[in-house]
Amino acid sequence: MRRAAACALAAVVVSAPWLVAVVVPRQQRYVLHVLIFTAFFAALALSYDLVVGHVGSLSLAHPAFFGVGAYTAAILATRAGWPFLADVVGAALAAAAVAALVGVPLFRLTEHAFAVGTLGLAVVASIVANNWVDVTRGPLCITGIPKPVLGLSGGPALVITTLPGQYWLALVALGAVVLLYRGLTTFRLGRAFHAVRDNEPLAGAAGINALKYRLLAFTIAAALAGGVGAMYVHYLSVMCPEEMTIGLTVNLLVIVFLGGVGTLRGVLIGAVLFTALPEVLRLAPTWRLVIYGALLLLVVVRSPEGIERLLRRTTPSRVAG
Amino acid sequence: MAADGGALLELRGVVAGYDEVEVLRGVSLAIRTGEIVCIIGANGAGKSTLLRTVFGIVPARTGAIRFAGEEIANRPPTDVLKRGVGYVPQGRCNFPAMSVEENLEMGAYLRRDAQVRRDIAASLERFPMLAAKRRDLAGTLSGGQQQILEMAIALLLRPRLLMVDEPSLGLDPRMVEIVFDTLLAINRDGTTILMVEQNAKKALSVSHRGFVLELGRNRFEGTGRELLDNPDVRHHYLGG
Amino acid sequence: MPLLEIRGLIKRFIGVTAVDRVDLAVERGELVSLIGPNGSGKTTLFNCVTGYLATDGGRVLFGGRDVTNAPSHSVARLGIARTFQQVSVFPRLSALDNLLVFLQQHQEESFLARLLRSRRLRRLETEAVERARRLLDLVGLGDRATAAAGSLSFGQRKLLAFAAALMPDPELLLLDEPAAAVNPTMINQMKQHILALHRQGKTVLLVEHNMDVVMDISQRIVVLDHGEKIAEGPPDVIRRDARVVEAYFGR
Repeated sequence: MRRAAACALAAVVVSAPWLVAVVVPRQQRYVLHVLIFTAFFAALALSYDLVVGHVGSLSLAHPAFFGVGAYTAAILATRAGWPFLADVVGAALAAAAVAALVGVPLFRLTEHAFAVGTLGLAVVASIVANNWVDVTRGPLCITGIPKPVLGLSGGPALVITTLPGQYWLALVALGAVVLLYRGLTTFRLGRAFHAVRDNEPLAGAAGINALKYRLLAFTIAAALAGGVGAMYVHYLSVMCPEEMTIGLTVNLLVIVFLGGVGTLRGVLIGAVLFTALPEVLRLAPTWRLVIYGALLLLVVVRSPEGIERLLRRTTPSRVAG
Repeated sequence: MAADGGALLELRGVVAGYDEVEVLRGVSLAIRTGEIVCIIGANGAGKSTLLRTVFGIVPARTGAIRFAGEEIANRPPTDVLKRGVGYVPQGRCNFPAMSVEENLEMGAYLRRDAQVRRDIAASLERFPMLAAKRRDLAGTLSGGQQQILEMAIALLLRPRLLMVDEPSLGLDPRMVEIVFDTLLAINRDGTTILMVEQNAKKALSVSHRGFVLELGRNRFEGTGRELLDNPDVRHHYLGG
Repeated sequence: MPLLEIRGLIKRFIGVTAVDRVDLAVERGELVSLIGPNGSGKTTLFNCVTGYLATDGGRVLFGGRDVTNAPSHSVARLGIARTFQQVSVFPRLSALDNLLVFLQQHQEESFLARLLRSRRLRRLETEAVERARRLLDLVGLGDRATAAAGSLSFGQRKLLAFAAALMPDPELLLLDEPAAAVNPTMINQMKQHILALHRQGKTVLLVEHNMDVVMDISQRIVVLDHGEKIAEGPPDVIRRDARVVEAYFGR
């Protein structure tokens, strides 16, 4: 994107709370809520795209990592009294640990078996969340998770209570994920990931240990998903097992594949479109899901490689990959 | 440019390519019935693309492609096949998990007439090395044997024109001889042959005529002998 | 001590022994060709040596060190480069990026450095790009540097793969039919480049069917048939060997 356009967009995104207050004063809270969700989903989708789009492993385990992170943060915050930033880090580490543990055996499986294996993980995680009542309180949910607090313990602290505040915090988190995503998918590391994705035997001949790189992407993606999970529970102040069902994977698949798998712009567009869209469609409650489904079909038929591809066709092309 | 009425296959100003890349930039040629014609040129010149465009796999953006007097540009491959154009793609293109005999049956798939069984038997008779392995899985045959199998498969639809992309690719010298002998025999039996070959010297020595492509355009044309003797062709395309 | 030593290598598939107790030694700096009819086990041998197939017996030594059944990425990092018979490129990456991938074995840059795109990183990257461009020019693909490798023709991909193998400056090159599908004029250039590598002291083991190439540049030829070594010697001797002529040359 050209500089001027990028700056303008950034300005709009940052000043969204004020714009919303002016444009839709009666719906402020609702719109901001949707925007915050969009930011979280975008971050989550980007982390998912690392695995699916950049190393080419079709993982269905993301809800598990999101859930592990969310519950870890919830428990650390409510039972161990950990401060906000600490439990976000703890959540990320916990999710990463799970990923590293299951990743080693899983990545030795063939493509299809891997997908099913990760699906199994997601299902198990969901069952654990529902039934390990002593820890997760099962269907009763963990409640009373405090609002995010930024600051050193004992020193001055900033408590994020307002909706705009939550929004900007979510934006910062998304920004961090975007930076990380870019760092991981460009230059040598990015090329190594893409090499493993596009031609694993040849990657081996180039000295790239495919297993190591797949595991790396998988673990980092899990950590990011866990981190997003932590931020999520601090926003909602509640964590229930329903938040980590495998339905989440469907949403992520839609965002990533219809937006543009393997591309930053595509995934971001996908996140905005497919999180905001169902909400906008609430204007037509009876037909909402039908219209949503029809739009998905339309995108798939007209541009199977995602909306990003459509945009690329209209702008001068750069180096592929 | 030989554009007489006796042309079996005729291309005029064909422009074709993949997505944003244009490979053929206005190619013209004509092939008469009964000929063996080969297309040579540097890598990336568009040789394989030409065959694929005639066969309907690659869209032709402009230009005319006429087979036996009828326009076939941009017709789907099954249509082109039915009109009598056979195609043996580059590299291995058979059903490795099926037996030799089953592969031949797949070759005759579009045929519904009663002759099919007889033609398959005739095919095995004509290619004894396939007959010896008729029940073996195609994937277990050597490269050369698979190439012969692929030609046999293409012949089962009794094409008037057989297009072969790099028949000698990856074959040892003995098999290269056998493959070229086979092509000559097929031609003697009445099939016109259009081939793309990097083993240009060998190809030109068995061809009636040849075309040299460069960067998607016509560069030279002549009889096999003329091209073999042409110093420019020798220097740029035959390795001296 | 030979640079590459294959001792009694065995590889079996169901119903057939593809490599049957093959001994093969290549001295440092030698240029050796491996020839034989289709199905004689040449590519299987390569695959066993470079970690793509598990052996059923025998040993592989590189510079005296046992590397039998080492995984492909380890073999590559030891300084052994190989090309594939069925052309192998990264189709979605540009020709240039295809070559840059092969410099993986140089140290990974630190995470922070990558995020901040440090100056050293940019310099290394520039040097790598220059090297890659030189190699692309060498194989005549200089003007296709930014094209996606998948959009190149088969022969061009062959040339790209050849250039990529040269990128990490390997000690030992295992080339599987580098001349197949390549235009005769370019084959001449390739021959010259292989000879130049040889003069630089690199060791080359070549599988080829193109007799012009084999006879012209090889110091020694090894002949396989049905998984067994049936002859070995300088080009003049092999050319006249009756068994080889019968199995391989035909007329």
